[in-house]
Amino acid sequence: MKFLIALINGLSAGGTYAIIALGYTMVYGIAKMLNFAHGDVIMAGGYMMFVTLTLLGHPLWAVAAAVVFCVVLGIVIERFAYRPLRGASPLAVLITAIGVSSLLQSLAQILFGSATKMPVKLQISGAFKIGSFDIAYSTLITLAVTVVVMAVLTLFVNYSKTGRAMIAVSEDRDAALLMGINTNAIITITFAIGSALAAIAGYLMLCKAPSLSTTLGAMPGIKAFTAAVIGGIGSIPGAMVGGILLGVIESLSYSVPALAPYTDAVEFAILIIVLLVKPSGILGKMRREKV
Amino acid sequence: MKKTAMKVLALVMCALLAATAFVGCGANKADTYVIGMSGPLTGAAAVYGVAVKNSAQMAVDEINAAGGLDGVMFTLEAFDDQHDATKVATNYAAMVDKGMVVSLGCVTTNPGLEFTELSAEDNVFFITPSASANAIVYAGTEDEPEDLYTNGYQMCFADGNQGTVAADYVNTLDYTSIGIFYKSDDPYSKGIYDAFKATLKESIATVEASFVGDGLDFTTQIELLKDCKFIFMPIYYTPASAFMTQAKDKVAADAIYYGCDGFDGIESAEGFDITAIPQEISMLSHFNSKATEGAAAEYIKKYTEKFGAETLNQFGASAYDCVYAIYNAMKEAKAEGKDIAPGMDASELCEILKAKFNGGFTYSGNTGDNITWESTGYVNKTAIAFVIKEANA
Amino acid sequence: MDKKAVFNFLKRYLSYIIIAAVALFYTVMSLTGSAKTADLYLLEKIAIAIILAVSLGMVVGFLGELSLGHAGFMCVGAYLGGKVSVILEPVLGNSFPTLLISIIVGGLVAALAGVVIGLPALRLRGDYLAIVTLAFGEIARSLFMNAPEALFGGTTGLKSPRFDKNSLFIVAFAFVLITIAVTQNLLHSKHGRAVTSIRDNEIAARAMGIDVTKYKLLVFMISSFFAGVAGVLFSYSNSRIQSASFDYNYSIEILVMVVLGGIGSINGSIVAATLITFLNVKLQTMLTGDLAVLQNLFYALILIVIVIYKNAPALKTFREKYNFKNFMALFRKKYPIKIRRFSDYGRRKNNQHL
Repeated sequence: MKFLIALINGLSAGGTYAIIALGYTMVYGIAKMLNFAHGDVIMAGGYMMFVTLTLLGHPLWAVAAAVVFCVVLGIVIERFAYRPLRGASPLAVLITAIGVSSLLQSLAQILFGSATKMPVKLQISGAFKIGSFDIAYSTLITLAVTVVVMAVLTLFVNYSKTGRAMIAVSEDRDAALLMGINTNAIITITFAIGSALAAIAGYLMLCKAPSLSTTLGAMPGIKAFTAAVIGGIGSIPGAMVGGILLGVIESLSYSVPALAPYTDAVEFAILIIVLLVKPSGILGKMRREKV
Repeated sequence: MKKTAMKVLALVMCALLAATAFVGCGANKADTYVIGMSGPLTGAAAVYGVAVKNSAQMAVDEINAAGGLDGVMFTLEAFDDQHDATKVATNYAAMVDKGMVVSLGCVTTNPGLEFTELSAEDNVFFITPSASANAIVYAGTEDEPEDLYTNGYQMCFADGNQGTVAADYVNTLDYTSIGIFYKSDDPYSKGIYDAFKATLKESIATVEASFVGDGLDFTTQIELLKDCKFIFMPIYYTPASAFMTQAKDKVAADAIYYGCDGFDGIESAEGFDITAIPQEISMLSHFNSKATEGAAAEYIKKYTEKFGAETLNQFGASAYDCVYAIYNAMKEAKAEGKDIAPGMDASELCEILKAKFNGGFTYSGNTGDNITWESTGYVNKTAIAFVIKEANA
Repeated sequence: MDKKAVFNFLKRYLSYIIIAAVALFYTVMSLTGSAKTADLYLLEKIAIAIILAVSLGMVVGFLGELSLGHAGFMCVGAYLGGKVSVILEPVLGNSFPTLLISIIVGGLVAALAGVVIGLPALRLRGDYLAIVTLAFGEIARSLFMNAPEALFGGTTGLKSPRFDKNSLFIVAFAFVLITIAVTQNLLHSKHGRAVTSIRDNEIAARAMGIDVTKYKLLVFMISSFFAGVAGVLFSYSNSRIQSASFDYNYSIEILVMVVLGGIGSINGSIVAATLITFLNVKLQTMLTGDLAVLQNLFYALILIVIVIYKNAPALKTFREKYNFKNFMALFRKKYPIKIRRFSDYGRRKNNQHL
């Protein structure tokens, strides 16, 4: 019984990780870079929700505003911080991403201060009762959103023209360019989608736990990134599998008192084990290096 | 490129050499009594550091306005450590540079442990308003008494003491099972938790949940604790308010949240609607932030007029008391004929103050009446069991 | 000796001379009792920062891999070296031998951790080392904090002896010199050339018969060793080792030093580590409130601008015209000696790898 509840909570936490991980994995697949600032886009979206909520008062507006804001933010970051470095070494791009992450955090701290904000209006309370145990609505919403996002994204990537162009760019950027695909536009779209997902993930986090601080996205970001690597970075189903797996492990670990303090260590240890056994991740493909 | 880098290297090193060497000349001989302190003035714990700094400054200003100590003024030198222990050594050195003779130590525990060590080497007297770990003022245990830090005193209850008092209180209630929610990577929370567990009756079963880091999503922990009627929460108010908000309709409405002094200020946490929480919220404290009479009420009035209610908390109240306790002890010692003068050796003043604090000095202020200290540095005063919010009927 | 010989001598040993001079100057100051405690702390911090930056620079600049867990190796070194010093203190006292033994033990254990972590990660191409070291840093922190209190002090940290503050900085600077010497000599050796060839073109290096994994592991191990040494020095400079000090942000701060100093330049790392530590410490006691946050904002901006300036393909011509070297050349006409940086050898034309 306890196990079942922990499992359901884990699925819900994992759903959020999965949605964040999708952002990492898509950007990695198409732009071949680790977007370390992804977690902080979540945080930025959270503050946008907080501001809109204070001004307009309805959560729906807040979520819409956050999605728009994050999309714009994602595009701006890509345009000014990452695009100039296209073709430069991956190390340079990675360091810039770290710089952007730290820039966003300090900006938020200057604008909003370091005290935790509580946008309680975003919270969804109440629970759905089945027999003797109940599942919180927020958990159900997270699970539903995760399934919908997953389905829509899979359909979009596999069947729409833009989606297929994305696959082409991720397979071979130069060849895609020769086939008349505007690779820059595709990369921009990828960042836009990733950032929109970040905003949605931010909402899912805040509807469960309405506490907002400048480090909101930092740890979930790193963990979701871990999830993306566990599932196989660059693979969309991989991000889902990795996210859910990590969420369930986290939840189970927290519910065993003796193991609870080690939760972070357990999660990162699983990453190292997976990399040892299957370096490309659970669902990842190993790419052959071409000379 | 290499050569240019070398030139810069040479320039920088020479500049550093020159800069530090010149600054080195002017040792500060102060003509006031300098009180040093280090606390988180920025960062996530800033609300505590700012409260301490404001209150201590307020007390210093009042003392000075009343003529100081026989005409000699006090100065407060406050430095920012951002709740980071590695920044304390620099701050400590800066205080010494400013001519510190006595100190309020650190505001928070982690940096405070470093401060204890540094000040013990120089034998500088400090009384901390809020760094509450046992090890801040005393290194020994019951089996192995060891008094390395004779120079340190606390105005707040030591963590072990809070845990014991809280457990004694819970032992008197007739629960067969209680919940505990703590932060396992925080010495404050872990310290109280350990002492609480050690004192709690064996007949009371415990359900435990813990968390680490800055994350504030407590879904899993709430699942574990939701059937408990009494939840002991030795944590700070930010995670506590997050927990209560998330658990408001999962935990039974007649349950009681019971915290320690970390709960202080929870009702004014930004965006936290305490009236929306159906459960009772109580805490063990030494300061009643809703006091309407006595020293505490007067302090609250003065503080809110000057700095607003945002940073009003027991950390500040305690700091205000610390400054006055130092002042009173110095005044009494001087009246007894002890040689106290500005610019004196901090170690000499420390011996004088230690003799006072270990020799039955009592102080009454806004965090308690007839406060005395043990020679270990722990404080003796009455804890207030303070109901922040009653259960919604 | 002709001028060229003098120049060559200076080129190789100037950093040693300057660092030794600074250390010597302050040794005299501290012997005569005129050095301020604050300056001695600052020197300790600078020395630790230089060791960390130079050793991380080996991985980032000469291996071309990114490590985000340098503070994790430092943590391992600090805790285990600190534990050794706690054990040895009753026997040997808080003396130089104790210090030396704990530094060596701390360094070796960190090097061992480097091998254990590097072995799986360095076999793979791509950004795996960054991910695995990041994970390692978090695991190390969590394990040390949750270890039994009697062993590593739990949440309040491990209480370890502090070394005499009037002489710790001398030891620290001695290790700075050792770090620089080892790094420079390694890079000018046969092994060093093998390492740079891996960075510049791994496939070509492999084709030349270079054991890529072995060399990568060697460099990573040495880098971890010095991170561990810095950790032990850190434990001696602070009275308690608290795992909270070694978080991910600390690793990033070291990385910032390496990047600002110029990836691949040892002297650059030394300058940047010195400057950043100096500014951090001086600003800490001067800035309060929001200004302290502005400092982080500026670091982030400078990091982004420098990386884009140095690496953006579109800025290549701009970079070749307006750079520091040409600027300095305005002041130098006498010795137009072409200095070839080590990393110039075999660099690919399109600048694909750093």
